[in-house]
Amino acid sequence: MVMAMNDSIMEIKGVSKTFDGIVHALDDVSIAINKNEIVGVVGENGAGKSTLMKILVGVYSPDNGEWYYRGKKIPFPKNPKEAVKRGISIVYQEKGVVPCLKVYQFLFLGHEDKYVRLSRLNINKMKKYARDILEEFHVKCNIENFMYELPLSTQKMVEIARAILGVRLEHEEDDITSVIILDEPTAPLTIEERRELFGEILDMKKNASFIFVSHIIPEVMEFTDRVHVLRDGKMIAHYDLSKEKVTEEDFFKAIVGKESVEYIYKQAEIKEFVSEETVLTVKNLTKRGCYYDISFDLHKGECIGIFGPTGSGKSEIINTIAGLMNFENGSLVVKGKEVKANEPPHVRLTRGIGYFSGETGKELFLNWPITKNISIVNIKKILRKFIPVLNFTAEKKMAERIVKQLRIKTPSVNAECYALSGGSKQKVSVGKWFERSPAILLLEDPTIGIDVGARDDIYETTLETKKKGISMILISDDPKEYSILCDKIMFIKHGRIQKVINNEKFKQEVTK
Amino acid sequence: MKTPDRKKLIPSIIIQTIKIYPVILILIAFVVIFSSLYPEKFLTSLNLTTILRQFVTLMLFAVGPSIVVVTGSLDLSYVGIWMLGGILVWFLKPILGMYSILVIPVLGLATGFLNGIIHAKAKMPSFILTLSLLVIYSGLTATIAGGIPRTVKGYDFITADFIHGIPTAFLWTIPIIIVAIYIMKRTRIGIYLYSIGSNEEGARLAGINVDKYKILAFTISGLFSGIGSVIIFQHQGGSVPVVLNLNTVVYPLVAIVLGGTLLVGGSGGPHRTILGALTFTVLIRGLIISFLDPTMIQLIVGLLLIVSIVVGSRGVKGVTVT
Amino acid sequence: MKRSEKIMVRRPLPSEWLRKNISTIGPVVAAIVIIGIFQMINPVFLKYQGIITLVYAMSYFLIAACGLTFVIMMGSFDFSVVSILKLSALICVLYVDRLGLLVIPLALLVSVGFGFINGILFAKLKVPSFMATLGVSIVVEGIGLYLSKGFLHIVTNETFKALTVTFIAGLPSIFYWAIGICLICTLIAIITPFGRRVYAIGGNPIGAVLSGINLDKYRIYVFILCSFLAGLAGVLYMSQLGGGSVELGADMSIPLFASVVAGGTALSGGVGGPHRTLLGVIIITWIQAGMLMLGYDRGMQMVVFGAIAVVMGIATIDRRGVKFVK
Repeated sequence: MVMAMNDSIMEIKGVSKTFDGIVHALDDVSIAINKNEIVGVVGENGAGKSTLMKILVGVYSPDNGEWYYRGKKIPFPKNPKEAVKRGISIVYQEKGVVPCLKVYQFLFLGHEDKYVRLSRLNINKMKKYARDILEEFHVKCNIENFMYELPLSTQKMVEIARAILGVRLEHEEDDITSVIILDEPTAPLTIEERRELFGEILDMKKNASFIFVSHIIPEVMEFTDRVHVLRDGKMIAHYDLSKEKVTEEDFFKAIVGKESVEYIYKQAEIKEFVSEETVLTVKNLTKRGCYYDISFDLHKGECIGIFGPTGSGKSEIINTIAGLMNFENGSLVVKGKEVKANEPPHVRLTRGIGYFSGETGKELFLNWPITKNISIVNIKKILRKFIPVLNFTAEKKMAERIVKQLRIKTPSVNAECYALSGGSKQKVSVGKWFERSPAILLLEDPTIGIDVGARDDIYETTLETKKKGISMILISDDPKEYSILCDKIMFIKHGRIQKVINNEKFKQEVTK
Repeated sequence: MKTPDRKKLIPSIIIQTIKIYPVILILIAFVVIFSSLYPEKFLTSLNLTTILRQFVTLMLFAVGPSIVVVTGSLDLSYVGIWMLGGILVWFLKPILGMYSILVIPVLGLATGFLNGIIHAKAKMPSFILTLSLLVIYSGLTATIAGGIPRTVKGYDFITADFIHGIPTAFLWTIPIIIVAIYIMKRTRIGIYLYSIGSNEEGARLAGINVDKYKILAFTISGLFSGIGSVIIFQHQGGSVPVVLNLNTVVYPLVAIVLGGTLLVGGSGGPHRTILGALTFTVLIRGLIISFLDPTMIQLIVGLLLIVSIVVGSRGVKGVTVT
Repeated sequence: MKRSEKIMVRRPLPSEWLRKNISTIGPVVAAIVIIGIFQMINPVFLKYQGIITLVYAMSYFLIAACGLTFVIMMGSFDFSVVSILKLSALICVLYVDRLGLLVIPLALLVSVGFGFINGILFAKLKVPSFMATLGVSIVVEGIGLYLSKGFLHIVTNETFKALTVTFIAGLPSIFYWAIGICLICTLIAIITPFGRRVYAIGGNPIGAVLSGINLDKYRIYVFILCSFLAGLAGVLYMSQLGGGSVELGADMSIPLFASVVAGGTALSGGVGGPHRTLLGVIIITWIQAGMLMLGYDRGMQMVVFGAIAVVMGIATIDRRGVKFVK
């Protein structure tokens, strides 16, 4: 699909990978990387980006595929060290830094055997090389700084320097060019820090090539030379940004699928049940580095969607309302009562705010059966009448009701959640919140990992819950969902509200 | 480069050192308090020698676990290695002759390795694992000894007087500490252990074989405990107790925490434990000399342990921990 | 934000079935085997006198173990149980002559106080539970030493002693205390919201927070409950003993812990319960009785208990959920 140019460093063709023999994580994917370029790889969560990268660095082996290095066919790397020997290294999105180490120690982490003699580290040599590398890449720090002292963008720069350094130390050839994979490098950074980081990376282009994995379209458009779009494991589009003019909407359609953008669901029911009563008032909510001056009102029975790329602040806003983050300025008024900035989630829950985090690993008690997972937030509903003890029959009935409503695939409600598929786990997790129906329900990525057919079950339940007067705030990676579920959509960029439009206008924008 | 003014340099070095090792202030405070309260008892050469001797015992026990704590785990089996090792020397002397003393380091090595494997592979939390091993070992010790403390003669040369006034055991301790600090600060093993304690996931992503290094940490700890136990064994006349005394287990922990090594790992180590052990020994000696009820001493130790851990868990503002 | 990749339903493998059920079947099988072996060696084992001795050994132990069970279910550890038991027993024997039965609320109050301290250290001051309870245990031992000054004391108050040694239907009353408390604890664990939330915290602390559970509050409550039961066990122990020094070494924590994991309550938290611990206590005390009968000294007993602690600890840990062990 992609033509490799003469100065291509590496190329992979026809890579496929399935897990458990069933799910196609990757299906016939090909990518070529040339010298001195930044290649973007974009796609929704679950599209296969992470699997592809793990194959490139040797964490996974593909089922099919070929690897060409400067035109010569070679086997796929079997472990990260082999990948580094070929010049490919990865900078992970998070948890890649070891805070207690000094910069020069971290730069060489994992590659000390080049500086070790009889277990003794040649520290002077390491320090000198460290100084040289930091200067070469314009990293603004001292080799003696501790990693935890550095600002996040500098930490990222050190991580990138480490990746390149690793390749230089491990390579078996003289004129190797590194290919550094940057996995969502800007996710933990503030908006200001991202500019800085990109400036430095562009500068580094003369030394290495980069694969930039992201789902922040504006950044990809601005900083990459070519972009591959992955959807459901397939490489469905490739744009050469130096030659073609591509808009953000083009990307959207490619990522989400042109068909689904034109998909229209039951519209009439949405407008009916929004009352005038305000349940949540957010005023000038500010947290430096995350969001600024966020103000909106949420009415009873209303669903507001917060729409924006990753890092725009949408997740942080919802986390703050849920009680997992403190806000610094502004006010939050829930059902007429102003709340303190640093209340933990259980207090927010008593106020009527429930939060579905979208991460089943964190939300679910995997070694518990479905019944217990659903009842843990609904304990009041399954207490017996005269003594406050649990009623197991009621618990089972509640679980059966939800399994039926959301069409969860399971042999019984007593099945351990470990045994369920990812989509079923998601349904159990979101189902328990629908059962709880707190006055305000915060939904973050409610349909992630659930195939398109099954999503309808969740949409139906969401709309029913809305009818009952439950207010919701929605964050989703799927633009179609906003058009189905939300009355109003708030566009967020760089931590600020750009505009608020109602459902009709939103559909017009997205289908343009 | 301008040569900085000598007079201004020394105080700033002192302030820097205190910032990194605040326990020095506590040590100085204790020395000052006890010297002024009981000058005739505290500042004698006998007392200083005693302090040195107790410091040695404490330090030799604490070196091994200091290394494990850096990875974020705990190793409590040192007293077990000492007791079981000591009684095995007595038991095996008729068979192995003078070589039976080697049983102790070998036992330490084997124990450390066992701890490491079970912790890393079976994923059992280290505190309960090493505690259980400690109990098993002390039980074996009591059984082998038949309930009576046994003394072994013939190893006097280990702690025979070398330099007058300084216990030979102390002279043995110095190279042991130096090796421990060297491993932690100058070798790849040390860096990897700090990394595992600071961010285990990050260490794994960086390509470090976390399981292997955890096992290594416990093995080294066991070995150090074994070697230290040999010295302590003879230092105390060639015998070990047959009943488990919880204080022997807890005191080295207090020394580690007091020295500033954080229990979450990623910082500290044997170099900090030296100060902690010294401070703690001075405190205990001072309390014993004073006419405080012995049971009050136990109480104070318990409170000190709690306070140091609380402070250690939260860190002190302005202190750089390395 | 990382997302899980699409996985379909897996059929349970034989090794999974074994792992799931070993902690239920294992202890029962073990108990039967042990009784069988000892009965074969010494036929008087199950005679009336033998049973009575066992009951005395088991009862106070079971009460303390139930308390520890809650802490372990929650994923933490309490090292101070034995020390608090000793102190509580000591308070009884020292002051029962002066205060009569009022020593009981006194001892329980002191125990609860230390439980509260444990809870605060762990929940609010973020001290790891093992270290916090270790420190408190040292302090409690110190207080105990200070109060008793090493002397022996005798209980002369007959009412106090009658609490545990009155015979009903052929068994001493302490047996009914123990069974009753174990039953109540089991009910608390299984059918109350409190118990359910404790399991939740142990199984997945983050999930518990996201489900709106007040972590700090429950942690403190559980430590208080554990110390309360430890204190109660101490009171009943001294009542049954009638005086003398409390011959419980600090290493008694291991048999206590062993009986909890031997019953199937896992260190990783979120599973098990007091009903399991009953089985574990039976196993441990019968092993102890059997070893005594066979002439093994206390040292060997500790070896066996330590080994059980390690083996059962490993066997019950749910390695699927565990990412970081320290």
